[in-house]
Amino acid sequence: MDQLTSVLEAVAHPSRRAILDRLSKGPARVTEIAEPFDMSLNAVSKHLKILEAAGLVTREVQGREHYIEFRGEPLRLVSTWVDYYERFWTQHLERFEQHFKDKRKRKP
Amino acid sequence: MSKKITLPKIKTFDLTLTRTIPASPEEVFDGWLDPENPGTPWHGSQKLVLEPKVDSLWHFTHVFDDLVLPHYGRFTTLERGKKIQYTWMSRHTLGLESLVTVNLQKKGDDTLLTLTHANIPDDEYGRAHETGWKGLLEAFEARILQTD
Repeated sequence: MDQLTSVLEAVAHPSRRAILDRLSKGPARVTEIAEPFDMSLNAVSKHLKILEAAGLVTREVQGREHYIEFRGEPLRLVSTWVDYYERFWTQHLERFEQHFKDKRKRKP
Repeated sequence: MSKKITLPKIKTFDLTLTRTIPASPEEVFDGWLDPENPGTPWHGSQKLVLEPKVDSLWHFTHVFDDLVLPHYGRFTTLERGKKIQYTWMSRHTLGLESLVTVNLQKKGDDTLLTLTHANIPDDEYGRAHETGWKGLLEAFEARILQTD
């Protein structure tokens, strides 16, 4: 799975978006993240693993505590993806370039 | 006494993309104006009017998710092997005349193509944020900038 797909899947779930919203205010322990949600610690951990795999959060282990921190950089991929005209022209330019690559290959 | 009407100012943004195309600038110029070329916006149009002459008009209509999307514009510069420029209006430009400029520069056997799309309204339509992503991105924008 490419990173864009991982990021899109990670932010597609409302609970994971709420977790990211909480973490955007600063790092937190897993128990603190779970507190406002009507979810088991186990369910929160599963969501965190998906966010971690997408590169949207990092985990720092200090003794028995796991501190989770938000990382915003991968969201750039989504930002680019939803920009209509950037997406529009990127797709067209890729096809345009490919058309000439194929044409050059066909030349004897 | 006539009242002066002031239209609200719309914030706009410009977009620039570059690509190296394996062809001469003249071939790239011709290709950009050829609806048979799958990389052009004119390709696969439901309805197409294309007369590549300065001050002539173009029109194409695409259908996306049962939505008819008409586009209109006017050619402003056509210099074979160098530059193509035309205005561009669609539902995403909110009545504004945005401007597409394609500059071509010889780069060995290839051509460096620089595409600039200027004067695009910087709002939900211009950027066409998908519902749901917009709020999320806005919420995290400050944070993303901090991590630069």
